[in-house]
Amino acid sequence: MTEAQVFADATQVQGDAIIEVNDMDKFFGDFQALKSINLRVGYGEVVVVIGPSGSGKSTLIRCINRLEEHEKGSIVVDGVPLTEDVKNIQEIRRETGMVFQSFNLFPHLTVLENITLAPRQVRNTPKKQAEETAMELLTRVKIPEQAHKYPGQLSGGQQQRVAIARSLAMSPKVMLFDEPTSALDPEMIKEVLDVMIELAQSGMTMIVVTHEMGFAREVADRVVFMADGEIVEVGTPQHFFESPREERTKLFLSQIL
Amino acid sequence: MVDVQDISVVEEAGPPTTALPPGEWIRKNLFSSTLNTVLTVVFGAIIVWAVVSAIRFVLGVDATIIVTNLKLYMTGRWPVEQLNRLWIGAYIAVAGIGLFARALVLNAKAQAEEAGLAHAEPSLRETLRRFWPLIALIVFTLSFTRTLTPTLLTIGAAMVGLVAYRAGDLLPTWVLHRSWLIPLVGTLLFYFGITTFDGVGWDDWGGFYLNIVLTIAGITLAFPLGLLLALGRRSSLPAVKWLSITYIEILRGVPMISLLLMGAFALGFLIPGDTQFSLFLRLLIAITLFQSAYIAEVVRGGLQSVPQGQVEAAQALGLAPWKTMRLIVLPQALRNVIPAMVGQFIALFKDTTLVAIVGLLDLLRAAAVSTAQPEFQAQGLEAVTLPFAAVFFWVGSYVMSRESRRLERKLGVGVR
Repeated sequence: MTEAQVFADATQVQGDAIIEVNDMDKFFGDFQALKSINLRVGYGEVVVVIGPSGSGKSTLIRCINRLEEHEKGSIVVDGVPLTEDVKNIQEIRRETGMVFQSFNLFPHLTVLENITLAPRQVRNTPKKQAEETAMELLTRVKIPEQAHKYPGQLSGGQQQRVAIARSLAMSPKVMLFDEPTSALDPEMIKEVLDVMIELAQSGMTMIVVTHEMGFAREVADRVVFMADGEIVEVGTPQHFFESPREERTKLFLSQIL
Repeated sequence: MVDVQDISVVEEAGPPTTALPPGEWIRKNLFSSTLNTVLTVVFGAIIVWAVVSAIRFVLGVDATIIVTNLKLYMTGRWPVEQLNRLWIGAYIAVAGIGLFARALVLNAKAQAEEAGLAHAEPSLRETLRRFWPLIALIVFTLSFTRTLTPTLLTIGAAMVGLVAYRAGDLLPTWVLHRSWLIPLVGTLLFYFGITTFDGVGWDDWGGFYLNIVLTIAGITLAFPLGLLLALGRRSSLPAVKWLSITYIEILRGVPMISLLLMGAFALGFLIPGDTQFSLFLRLLIAITLFQSAYIAEVVRGGLQSVPQGQVEAAQALGLAPWKTMRLIVLPQALRNVIPAMVGQFIALFKDTTLVAIVGLLDLLRAAAVSTAQPEFQAQGLEAVTLPFAAVFFWVGSYVMSRESRRLERKLGVGVR
């Protein structure tokens, strides 16, 4: 175990964790994308993952809901171990919402249908009830008037807010955000971040991969810095931005700030 | 340097000229209201009739061969005393289409209302404009009849269609929710109306009627089979995958004629026992097998066109794999390949003429053999009968292609 990881482990939450990643490796062919990752996320915690591109941030959260398969180590989400077992995978996916960089809304369905699809198909929620929930969520993300439009008719910021509402419709216990604002025009970033801030304040457990340092500073309980497939440093935003201890962290921060 | 004078010239040019493209001009001048549309169609029909007569007169084309053989072209060896069954079948078909069309419109309306959106009901004018080539084709055909009866019966059929469309409002909700029941029941009624109680069996079917039946049945059977094959080709089960690939590659690699010959002469030996399928059925099987392999490849192209992110989003929401396929991937994949798919259907339609080589008397073959009749032989009348047959295939293909473009536009609402 490297010194950095010992340090990282020391700053992990104690007590119950909703996500436990232990000694996880991930390969793409011969390329090792993730090296011995250890991460514990507590209930209601907001963890922001930052790092240079190619550092494995997205791969890490994509492993948590099995969009990528890890080769070694274990992942446990809310007490359910992530194994080959399809039942476990489905259970974890039901409890885990994900928001993508490129929104990935279903273009052939209206906004309302995008949001009600999973509750109706996966949880067998009656249509009426699913639509009522969807309208509440659309109000929460401040675009109820777009309910009957198609994704292609919305701006990027609106689409991403719909995508957040779509994930929330499954009442997930954890939300994963994979660079949710990276594909947005600058003037639309704030409207999406505002929704995420509101969500964090409501007590949602969140893991956010992002380049928005302002968001990390204000909202994160902990910041995880990754480079070259490893977790280099973990700490509170204050510690992380003001007194980073690792050379790689300092270098990264000097480049972006 | 920009020449100042040039700019002033541009400014003086004013708004663009108002010459409308042909489509716009027609819409504005011929179809501007229901009355205008009806008038256009009625006079259009008269004009078609007049023009056809005029061409026949001017070119000195003697249409006697068509007038004499019209029944052969349309229905082949169909027994004359049984022709009333075909009219009954046509009435059933028209009534079914009317009901089905109304059911689809009502469903679309209900959907739009639920979403709180405006819904424009299709007008008679729109429908006539949409299907004018078919109407012109019917008038064209009727212009070759010897008696007034077929014309009167056709007008009657049009009335039945309109009444059925209106009667669609009386359909109970449970039927509207299962609107596929209407074509299903309609097809069964049609089939029994034609064949039961000493009716006309499959092997007596012929003429353009045979081409139409083979096309509709071929598409109905080959499309689902092709869909399954395309999914099988992407299956993670090796057995399913390799079976699908083998099937597709073998059937795409042989000429359709060889399959038809196999169907006609060899399929009988492959079926155990005394079961003897009629020639019609064996050829339909051959067409279905062949076309499904092509359709599978078209669908595969569509499946590949759906971004991986769509699947990931569905997975992340917890959707099971087959629901992801059915609700997310397939609808987008099929929408993306409408032009190629309809192209395949058009090919199927025209390929139905190949059944002629194993002895069925379809429209094309009827057109060819009628010139061997004693009173018409050796007069070069192929120059009359073959173009006559071509008109039917052209109109059918053209209508399909128009409908495909319309469908594309309609489904393009959510294009990103």
